[in-house]
Amino acid sequence: MARPRKVPGFDCDEPFGEAAARVIAVRAAEVFKHSAGVLDTTEIHRVHDMRVATRRLRAAMELFEPCFPSKLYGKARREVKALADALGGRRDRDVEIEFLEQFIEEGVDLDDLERVAQLVVQRRVEQLQANDDLVPFVAEERLAKLRLRLDKLVEAAR
Amino acid sequence: MKARRVKKLDPEKPLKENAARIVRTRLDEVLALAEPALEPTAAGAQHDLRIACKRLRYVLELVGGCFGREAEAARDAARELQTVLGEIHDCDEMLPRAEGIASLDTFLRTRRELLFRRFSDLWRADETAATWDAIERILDN
Repeated sequence: MARPRKVPGFDCDEPFGEAAARVIAVRAAEVFKHSAGVLDTTEIHRVHDMRVATRRLRAAMELFEPCFPSKLYGKARREVKALADALGGRRDRDVEIEFLEQFIEEGVDLDDLERVAQLVVQRRVEQLQANDDLVPFVAEERLAKLRLRLDKLVEAAR
Repeated sequence: MKARRVKKLDPEKPLKENAARIVRTRLDEVLALAEPALEPTAAGAQHDLRIACKRLRYVLELVGGCFGREAEAARDAARELQTVLGEIHDCDEMLPRAEGIASLDTFLRTRRELLFRRFSDLWRADETAATWDAIERILDN
């Protein structure tokens, strides 16, 4: 899992609003950094990393909520949550597939092999569906809009 | 599970003062949810505690630097609890799909039991209790 980046100039004694601007700028950048190749189902750590970055951004937004105009905050929060949900939908399938494949290698009774293999096939189909559902959320244009929204949030907090 | 609202936050006041209120609220959530989650079959309570640990962990990742080593220890404890509770949740999600597949069903149930024991041991460990006490003392100062 990617570690969170340190926030440059982070100062416990600075006003809450200043800190909000600093932190959100860094956490938002991490989300966009991890968006590359996220639809590649052979590299499942990418979805995981972007999902964790999204979680960290959401946590920061919730933490600093009083520093933002409520309408602006509400829209940005909903958009980030929708992205997180779409990433989560893919990630859940990735995890199940990984688990079941390992179970086939290490623990399955031969009597159950066929049924577990069927489960993997079903999960693969769901994984592709979840990936299709994720496509609009990680499209360049959508991410650019989100970036703009988060930039406004950062400006408003200062 | 909705997070408790943190009262009396003020954007004009220093980060540390606001952060202390937030960490305190998130820590209280974890402490309040632990007892019901220690019931072995209480999947819902364990899920709620996982979410509370996740919130505490991410808040401490952000502002733990304002509260010293005690906050680092609390963050690590929250992360460890979140991880093991997450693995328990994965078993709970997978179990219905394992119906009629004996070896998978047995494996998941056994794994869940072991993970629950690990969670219970973690929570009851003296270090964990001391970790919560230590961060509470820092927040109260």
